[in-house]
Amino acid sequence: MKAMIIDDEPPARRELRRLLAGFPWVEIVGEAGNIDQAAEMVETLTPELLFLDIQMPGGSGFDLLTRLEDVPQVIFTTAYDEHAVRAFKVDALDYLLKPIEPARLAEALGRVKSAHAARTPQPAAALEQIFVRDGSRCWFVPLREVRLLSSEGNYIRLSWGKSQPLLGRALAALEQRLDPNRFFRANRRQIINLDFIESVELGVNGRLHAQLRDGPEVEISRRQARLFKTKMSI
Amino acid sequence: MNDAERPIAQKSQLAYWIFQLTGWGLFTLIRFIGGVVVLEFSWTRLALELLLLNGVGLFVSHWLRDFVRRHHWSALPIRKLIWRIIVAAFVLGAPLGIVTQFTDLSAFHDPAFLKAYAPALNFQLTLSASIAVEIVNWAIVFLVWLTIYFAAIGVREHRSAQLKQSELARALQLAELRLLKSQLNPHFLFNALNTVRSLIADNPARAQDAVTRLAKTLRYTLTSPQDELVTLSQELDIVVDYLELESMRFEDRLRIEIRVPDAAAGVHIPVMLLQTLVENAIKHGIAELPAGGLLRVSATVQNEMLMLDVENPRPPATTRTAREGVGLQNARQRLRLLFGARASLELDLSNSSVTTARLRIPVNP
Repeated sequence: MKAMIIDDEPPARRELRRLLAGFPWVEIVGEAGNIDQAAEMVETLTPELLFLDIQMPGGSGFDLLTRLEDVPQVIFTTAYDEHAVRAFKVDALDYLLKPIEPARLAEALGRVKSAHAARTPQPAAALEQIFVRDGSRCWFVPLREVRLLSSEGNYIRLSWGKSQPLLGRALAALEQRLDPNRFFRANRRQIINLDFIESVELGVNGRLHAQLRDGPEVEISRRQARLFKTKMSI
Repeated sequence: MNDAERPIAQKSQLAYWIFQLTGWGLFTLIRFIGGVVVLEFSWTRLALELLLLNGVGLFVSHWLRDFVRRHHWSALPIRKLIWRIIVAAFVLGAPLGIVTQFTDLSAFHDPAFLKAYAPALNFQLTLSASIAVEIVNWAIVFLVWLTIYFAAIGVREHRSAQLKQSELARALQLAELRLLKSQLNPHFLFNALNTVRSLIADNPARAQDAVTRLAKTLRYTLTSPQDELVTLSQELDIVVDYLELESMRFEDRLRIEIRVPDAAAGVHIPVMLLQTLVENAIKHGIAELPAGGLLRVSATVQNEMLMLDVENPRPPATTRTAREGVGLQNARQRLRLLFGARASLELDLSNSSVTTARLRIPVNP
């Protein structure tokens, strides 16, 4: 598994590298000391796992995640900011306190490994999770759990469980990275998750109305309705 | 009664007897002189009568003091106290007034005497009226006695209340100072420990040095609550240890320059204050900049004032929090409590690439 270490303190990076030597299946493909450098390296090296410090010059570890389009698995490493990590509304995430206990590292890596194994094979380019920061709250959002993506200007409103976080990207740009087997463009403004469709009704002028589980009814435009019928072979 | 209160109680006991004896003594002397000189009484008999009567008066007033203390009269509201004083004065004055009627002192009311001294008055006193006058006279004596007694108590209580007030204010100030004194930043502590862990493998000799410096820094912070002020050179020792530890963490991102002339080294500054400023310079300066920079500590003494500057490179405005941190506000509050208006701490943001914390402290506080 390709991993990257992102920490502004060289001794901390060396120490983590030494600790990771005990886990040969973790291959360290790169190290970065600030988030600009890190963002660039993540795009080119495409690691599957990040060891990420929170306090760094030029922006925090959270800032880095909001900048990444494709967010890999993340293990936060921090000396004293565990409250910042705990404040997260995420369970798919782990954090290690520095100095890092080898036993805790093994535990965290074990969790990463089993999460990795449980992953359903996806088309190579499809996004799996996105990192969203809305105000003071942050989430790792698994896309398969998102039932609806609605365009709001240059932002996307995600309907995810009870939350409706706002993502700072354009819908058209994100659409290309979504799994086409799961997500379907319903109209100019909305993309729906097919797994959440409860029922579909015929509307006027060849439009369709899709009722989403736990969510609103979404109109499928006439043009898209034809596509929808073909796809669903109705 | 505890040991601390005992000397005060003894002192007030002594003062009480001085007042008592002086008061009654003077009262006796005046009446004696009046009797001998004006009425030409036999002075031996007069002296005996006066000593007996006023001796009883003294004894009664002493018993009265005991009585009012037992019944906590001093805690009463003034209106209730006045009524009690008047009643007590007459109750005690009555028997003494009656007794006085049967002494030579009643001759003050003798018709012959009155005629001789104040012929114009030309009035006669019946026996009962004469007794009444004697009772009123004694009542006035006890009224005056009680008034002086409660006035003295009032003054004493006011003073001790004031003393308590100032002691309380001092205690509050101390507590406030203790609270404002900055504690070691846990973030620094854990990062330093992480650095040490890394150095153990990289460079054992440096790891040993780091542990020693960390121990010194910890000891200084843990024992600093005992002192309020330390010399600049004492504080600098620890600042240097701290900066050495931080430069092991940041490596070439942190460059340090310290310029403190001998004249400034002995000046007393609040403990942990320079440390706080240097920590801030690291946190908001070096740690925020990918390339790091120069941290400069410089001191001069001019016109009996120590001028201590801590400079750090300033990150671009986007990542810089504009408002002042709690650390700086606490430091300023401490300075105000210790030096009043004579010390100051300013954050100079006029230069866009450098932030300077300027500390001014009087050389002779």
